[in-house]
Amino acid sequence: MKMPPQIIRLVLLTVAIVCGYFTARFFLVPASFGQYGHYRGDALLEIRDREPFWAGRNTCDTCHADHVLKLSKAEHKGLSCETCHGPSKAHVENPEVQLPKLSYGQCVRCHESSPSRPAWLHQVNPLKHYTGQKCTECHVPHQPNEVPP
Amino acid sequence: MNETMTRRGALKGLAGIVGGLLAAPAAQTCKAAVQNGLATSSAPKGYDPTQHKWLMALDVNRCIGCGMCVEACKAENNVPDDHFRTWIERYVITKPAPGSGESRGETFVDSPNGGIGGFKPGLIPKEDVLKSFFVPKLCNQCESSPCSQVCPVGATFESPDGVVLVDKNYCIGCGFCIQACPYGCRFFNPVTHTADKCTMCYHRITRGLRPACVEICPSQARIFGDLMNSKPEDPIQRFISGNTTQGLKAHLGTKPRVRYAGLDDEVR
Repeated sequence: MKMPPQIIRLVLLTVAIVCGYFTARFFLVPASFGQYGHYRGDALLEIRDREPFWAGRNTCDTCHADHVLKLSKAEHKGLSCETCHGPSKAHVENPEVQLPKLSYGQCVRCHESSPSRPAWLHQVNPLKHYTGQKCTECHVPHQPNEVPP
Repeated sequence: MNETMTRRGALKGLAGIVGGLLAAPAAQTCKAAVQNGLATSSAPKGYDPTQHKWLMALDVNRCIGCGMCVEACKAENNVPDDHFRTWIERYVITKPAPGSGESRGETFVDSPNGGIGGFKPGLIPKEDVLKSFFVPKLCNQCESSPCSQVCPVGATFESPDGVVLVDKNYCIGCGFCIQACPYGCRFFNPVTHTADKCTMCYHRITRGLRPACVEICPSQARIFGDLMNSKPEDPIQRFISGNTTQGLKAHLGTKPRVRYAGLDDEVR
């Protein structure tokens, strides 16, 4: 039986479209697509590819182990160095870069009394609690249960 | 010049096209391999996402509302002003009207500038407050995430290590995911013109560091760890085993990988 020419043309057209689709797909889909799922696997690498901003407590521990050890003995044990001392990456890369001196604001920020704060936190009203004196006159920041000499 | 088409000429042309088609992908593969080799990715190699499963837990009773985590996140991830990858909400529940027989009055929630700089005293007088607390919020890293399901271009996905991420090269900024998120955790980044969200500091956790908010939180309200590589005495395992935890809006079936302990009914 001879196939009618319009059918042959339709078959050829269909084959051409399907081939065109697979060719285009082959070129357009990135190599890492489907590595982990229905997305580009390389996206994970790209998202990872940026430098951290905060150095992290473990980095501080490599040089200042004595301070970290002292800190870990009292109430402030869970604190990260950078929580109070600020971003330290520049200091890690060049130890001559000094971190800013700390002020009263650093203490008050967490310890100012508020009805929304949980009861376990030591809170003071800065307007009534030894106004005019420095916090560090009575409290050692690295070991709050100690009184400075 | 001979314009007539011969059988030989046509076959030669066809062979050329087929040969070109076959050679092009090979060339592309070579190019990709070369590019991979030359790429100066600062990301340390050897991190296998299939070998980790991250989890964040939040202890509402530990949050003191200082707002340091919000600032830490902004600095770490260059989050534009007025947008937040994480923020803190203050809940104030008033006392019920006397004799009403209710257990509580009205609930007020605020989050001035996401909690940056801490919270000023509220407008409700202290004697009218039944209870008040802070709740840190961030992307819930759903295992069955509505945002990935609606993305029309496959730019948002759940990574094998349990983090929902955005492929910024693929995102077309249509904003479907921003509307789909039941927790309001996504925003349109006006700088990159793509959807943006918490990545659990993916660039930090894959280097063995903690996410910025967890690192900076002064009261351990945020606990973070790898469930596939942790021992029972690690903070995350201790926290999960020692507390009743829940995800937000459990009825939506999103299966959040961010767990809360000490959560009140009013928090959604």
